[in-house]
Amino acid sequence: MNFESCFRLLAERLKDEIIVTSAGNCSELWWEITGESERVFYLEASMSLAPLFAAGIALGTTRTVVALNGDGAFCMNPGTLMVERQLALPNLKHFVVSNRVYGSTNDLSHPFGDLTDYAAMARASGVKRVYDFSTIEGLGQGLDEMICDPGHAFGVLHVEPLGRHPRAPGIDGPELKFRFGRYLEQSGGPTIFDVPLKKS
Amino acid sequence: MGTSAAYIVSRRIVETTAECGISLVASLPDGWITNLIEHYVDDRRFRHVAVNREESAIGLCSGAFFSGIGTFSLMGASGFLTCIYALTKINYTYQIPLLIGITLRGRPGDGAKFHQSNALYLERVMQSIDIPFVPIECADDIPRVATAYRHSRTLSRPVVVGFTREVLRGEA
Repeated sequence: MNFESCFRLLAERLKDEIIVTSAGNCSELWWEITGESERVFYLEASMSLAPLFAAGIALGTTRTVVALNGDGAFCMNPGTLMVERQLALPNLKHFVVSNRVYGSTNDLSHPFGDLTDYAAMARASGVKRVYDFSTIEGLGQGLDEMICDPGHAFGVLHVEPLGRHPRAPGIDGPELKFRFGRYLEQSGGPTIFDVPLKKS
Repeated sequence: MGTSAAYIVSRRIVETTAECGISLVASLPDGWITNLIEHYVDDRRFRHVAVNREESAIGLCSGAFFSGIGTFSLMGASGFLTCIYALTKINYTYQIPLLIGITLRGRPGDGAKFHQSNALYLERVMQSIDIPFVPIECADDIPRVATAYRHSRTLSRPVVVGFTREVLRGEA
């Protein structure tokens, strides 16, 4: 399916969830489409750890936390599936965006998506709820079940390479930390920072 | 075994971390900290997560900062050296505090030849990334674990506490 159409559908439907995006196209495209700077943590600065970073967030909230993880990142550390399985967080939803290229480095191709069945890897890791989306129609039909039904879920989004390199989110790291953290605090989440903001 | 010197030291470390608000421990074992990890596994005040590799502990605990949960990443010295990318990219970029416990492998007295690279480079690597390092070399140093945790939050950066074999065995 078309990468941009896929993300536009996700952005349209995932309005209340907390979002964590991995480095490269996932962060860039979500930023380009939504411009969001509070409920989204653009984890641009590390590959492979977005789903476990999201899991850490999910430990402290009943809200659903969605990790959008590039396939290049996933392949660096697929063992995260075993940790996710161990945690079995009912509010963690992990998407691997399989475009079969390194989108942030000029769409250099990699062979892993053609050779390896990521959904089967998740099943073999013991993840019970696994989804495989290859079309916009299929994603539209299956998304609510994956997101809304309780239980840790893993989904593969088979998309075409984006073919361009959108701009990265223009937010410095510490600003992103405070925007995201204060948003969580002010939307009923846990106290995160040692010094709370005074209510105006 | 229940009252051995190593047992007592592990209990002291566990109590110290509990008292400073840590409730999530992510670990990958090193032979020196097996006993300590088992204490965390058995203690209901903690959620212990066995990670697949040390970087995963950094990712999980960094995300858990946004849960308001106190965390402790526990690993061997060699595993810590694999975390430089995650630490400098996640914790330095976003200024996320994190307490990391490591073994001080390679110090004189460690007979493992395969750990001698740590003797040569562990502390120098820490210095090169300016990560604060607090050695725990005797039982009286254990309260410094809590100080290191608080310092991490003040600094908004990771802090490493390093345990010697002697202290973990209850010999120092």
